[in-house]
Amino acid sequence: MTARQTSSEGNVVVIERMAVRIVSLLLIVAAVSVFVLWSANAVGSGGETTFALFLAVDLVAVAMISYVERSVSEQGNIGRAPLIAGCCFVLVLVIAGIYLL
Amino acid sequence: MLLYYVPSPTQAYATTQYIFQNVSYGTFLETVHLYTAYAMIMLAFMHMMRGYFVSVHKKPRELMWVVGMVMGFVTLGFGFTGYLLPWTIVSKSATDVGIGMIGALPQPIASSLTFLVVGSGTDAGELLRFYDLHVFILPAVLLVLLVVKMYMLESHGVSEPTTGVESLPAKKRKLIPIFPDVSFYLVELAALFGAAIILISVIFPLSLPQEYSAALAGQSVAQPDWYFLWIYQILKISAFEEAGLPVALAVVTLIFIALVLLPFIDRGKTRNIRDRMVYVTLGGIFVAEVAVLAVWGFLTPGRAIPDEAALLVLGGTALVVTLGSVVAYKAVFGGLRAFAKGRGSQGVPSAAASSSAPELAPKSAAMWTSCTFVVLLAAGAFFIGESINQMVSLVLGGTAVLPFLMLSLVCLSLTVLGTLYFLYRLDLGSGSIRRRVRAFEIGWKE
Repeated sequence: MTARQTSSEGNVVVIERMAVRIVSLLLIVAAVSVFVLWSANAVGSGGETTFALFLAVDLVAVAMISYVERSVSEQGNIGRAPLIAGCCFVLVLVIAGIYLL
Repeated sequence: MLLYYVPSPTQAYATTQYIFQNVSYGTFLETVHLYTAYAMIMLAFMHMMRGYFVSVHKKPRELMWVVGMVMGFVTLGFGFTGYLLPWTIVSKSATDVGIGMIGALPQPIASSLTFLVVGSGTDAGELLRFYDLHVFILPAVLLVLLVVKMYMLESHGVSEPTTGVESLPAKKRKLIPIFPDVSFYLVELAALFGAAIILISVIFPLSLPQEYSAALAGQSVAQPDWYFLWIYQILKISAFEEAGLPVALAVVTLIFIALVLLPFIDRGKTRNIRDRMVYVTLGGIFVAEVAVLAVWGFLTPGRAIPDEAALLVLGGTALVVTLGSVVAYKAVFGGLRAFAKGRGSQGVPSAAASSSAPELAPKSAAMWTSCTFVVLLAAGAFFIGESINQMVSLVLGGTAVLPFLMLSLVCLSLTVLGTLYFLYRLDLGSGSIRRRVRAFEIGWKE
């Protein structure tokens, strides 16, 4: 077995692990989104804004997951500041969404 | 939107209104659709200018640039065709102005293009063609161009840093894999972009303007969407009105042709921004003029622009950007060079320090040289503009402007002669014009 083959197989293992983690996290986000949006009854009056806010929360969550995976892959550690900022942003959006319900 | 919208003059507005008022998330969808289109045009423009400044158009990526420019035109085509579809008074009036401009182009281009976008000349034919172009033809063309561009990207790879890979420290010379690193980065950007568009749509929801009717059209001022305002403002300059319209269209067409053929015009080998002062300055002038014209057009709807005002504003903008560019090059690259020299003396290797620094003239001489060139540049710009202005007036039939034209041409000739004499004196002083000129253009590379 050559060094290149070993490196290639190692990459495949890393990518498979990452893929499993990402899919799990995205499924959790999707499940929570469906539950929240369903219970919010966003089709009702003024529901468009609520729907849009929760959709934005979803997208910010996806961006944070992507950021975490990228940071681990590139640098091996995760910067705290973007994550704290992202969480605060999500919190503000969720509170605004609940307030408008 | 395709499920509810009907592309007919009698139903277009009503069905759009139905989407806004009765369809679940209709207003949200329409708003997101509009703001995403705006963002697409703005990002395409930023992408183009970023590519211009870092010279991605140079060998071997000339055709990629040309294809990218065509994709940019298709994007503008999306904007132009989509604007008419709601059949509001604003959109129909602005589109009519655009179609009128097409009619001023030389034959047979004018008749072919008019037939392509208007058809038989009826409102129904026009709306149906705009709808077909917006929903079927332009997306198909964009998709094909995207495939071609991606193929070229795969063949040539992304362009290297402008300073060259060799100048990077060894630590930074690693290759970044497209998966997972770049892919995750793109997902991150796309998700944040989507969230931003959604939030902006929530904060500033769209409202539908009044429906188009021939009676109301006469009372409203035709104004295109913001991305065409800069062209519209050029057409509003007094010299370019009515019989001067073909001249204005020729100017705009030449700008677009120059942008498409940029790789074959800017043929210098260097891609480093510090060695491309002239092209960077020209790019800066272009961005500044487009922004100034767009804002100016937004603030003066339907009002003709006097020639003198246009000359002052556009000439002034160009002058300010040129001066800013010269000062910035002097400050940034002069400063960097001094910094690099300092580091070089401490034994730290530096690419900038290794290059031969120019011999600077005494400070006062450099100052006088700069001031004289600025005055000559301003006078040249003014007299060129004034000569063109008088020539357009002369072509339009006003022989009364002949003395002013002669005066402008004489002044322009004197400015040119003065510049030549100044260069000659500089040459006498140093034996090399270029060395002296470099006294205030530190960014030049010999």
